[in-house]
Amino acid sequence: MTAPRPYALLAEITYRCPLHCPYCSNPVAVACAVLSGEQARQPSSALRTAHATANNGELSTDEWRRVIREAAALGVLQIGFSGGEPLVRRDLAELVRAAREANVYTNLITSGIGLDDDRVRALRDAGLDSVQLSFQSDEADLADEIAGARGYERKLDAAAKIRAAGIPLSLNFVIHRRNIDRLPQMIELAETLGAQRVELANVQFYGWAFLNRAALLPTREQVDRAREIATAAKARLSGRIDIFYVLPDYYETRPKPCLNGWGQRYLTVNPIGDALPCPTASSAIPDMRFENIRARDLDWIWRESESFNRFRGTDWMPEPCRSCPQREIDFGGCRCQAALLTSNAANTDPVCTLSANRAKVDAMLRVVNSARDHACEWIYRENPKTLPGSFQPRGIMEQRRSG
Amino acid sequence: MQTPAIADSAQPRLAKGVRLQIDSATGKNVVLFPEGIVELNETAHEILSRCDGRTFSEIVHSLAEEYDANAAALAADLRATLSDLHRRKLIELT
Repeated sequence: MTAPRPYALLAEITYRCPLHCPYCSNPVAVACAVLSGEQARQPSSALRTAHATANNGELSTDEWRRVIREAAALGVLQIGFSGGEPLVRRDLAELVRAAREANVYTNLITSGIGLDDDRVRALRDAGLDSVQLSFQSDEADLADEIAGARGYERKLDAAAKIRAAGIPLSLNFVIHRRNIDRLPQMIELAETLGAQRVELANVQFYGWAFLNRAALLPTREQVDRAREIATAAKARLSGRIDIFYVLPDYYETRPKPCLNGWGQRYLTVNPIGDALPCPTASSAIPDMRFENIRARDLDWIWRESESFNRFRGTDWMPEPCRSCPQREIDFGGCRCQAALLTSNAANTDPVCTLSANRAKVDAMLRVVNSARDHACEWIYRENPKTLPGSFQPRGIMEQRRSG
Repeated sequence: MQTPAIADSAQPRLAKGVRLQIDSATGKNVVLFPEGIVELNETAHEILSRCDGRTFSEIVHSLAEEYDANAAALAADLRATLSDLHRRKLIELT
């Protein structure tokens, strides 16, 4: 089918990160390859990425400049610089400048770790439009426990620096079982820090979060209360702070309209240059082969590649999606979730109650809603090696392992 | 929060982090903001492109002249549109 034009590029410029959040959506295999060189010889896309990342196969500044130009030419109007922690790359401001020169709106999605005065100034001078600063919780002890590293105080400092530089600030909270009861305090923190926008996004289960589902999924009671709190705060702060509350989709009866359709509006380029229809596709869909920007231009990949075309439109859909009146509304849900839960990315998203596989979601809901004291340990994200001469995180706490 | 009535001397400007530009893929005017893109119709564009430090009265006169319209009627519509844009945080009022 004919490819539409994309609106936004997610530029995952590195998988390196000073934090170890157990819900990170980066491929788990990146850490596996760091731990075991053997696995990296397997042909899976995620492992190939992992191997290359561990060996500093990241795209160069010039390669990213080319990606940005080609994305703008395709119609991209917004770029999110993400990771890993994008500040780990010293050329971040140069990439922001390249995006601004291509007339693209620039968002930085960051933990704030490593954001000193010089870098804030460099990013502002390069034309950075907006910063989304992640917080694990509203108070230091819990936040640092979740991150598996001390970072909370530095985040407060980063927020102040961003505000002082006059760059619009959004706060991003990933919500899960351990912090969902603190929504009011999180919203209060956003007010205190002068954020324009807050995302309270329940964790979605990909990457590390998929491994840690039982520890991260909130109870139904928690979810209902959180929804009320978010709705009330939205009304109270209307016109001052925009609040976006994202539900945990396991509690929904119809799937989310993932990506607004595969290959319709969004594309991702990962640290080694694989162009992906979705950032989690490389790890969730093992039988899909992704094209690399070192071998092909972005225009060809977007329009012609098998990976971008496989789930475009509605022709690929099986029943019950094929004849469903909602097929152009939710697009059958999420391909990665279908792959992770049913081992077939072409199945209906099992969140849908019309899916033959809905029982797999319900089984997980039963686990977290019945056992009062079910195991809450999680596995922390392992990180690719930090390369010599690059940013070295300080004060990493001992990693806690569940077993 | 109720948006207060916009005074004649108010100066609406694009809010911090909001950019007005042409979408080169379609030639249409769009506003860009964190995680958002809105395609503008001609009226919205004519208004937003004047939110550059001019006062409300000056914008009314400029639009009345351009469209050969009645300034009083136009002022009421403009007030409603700017209130909406303000509520959506696309403009700031000083």
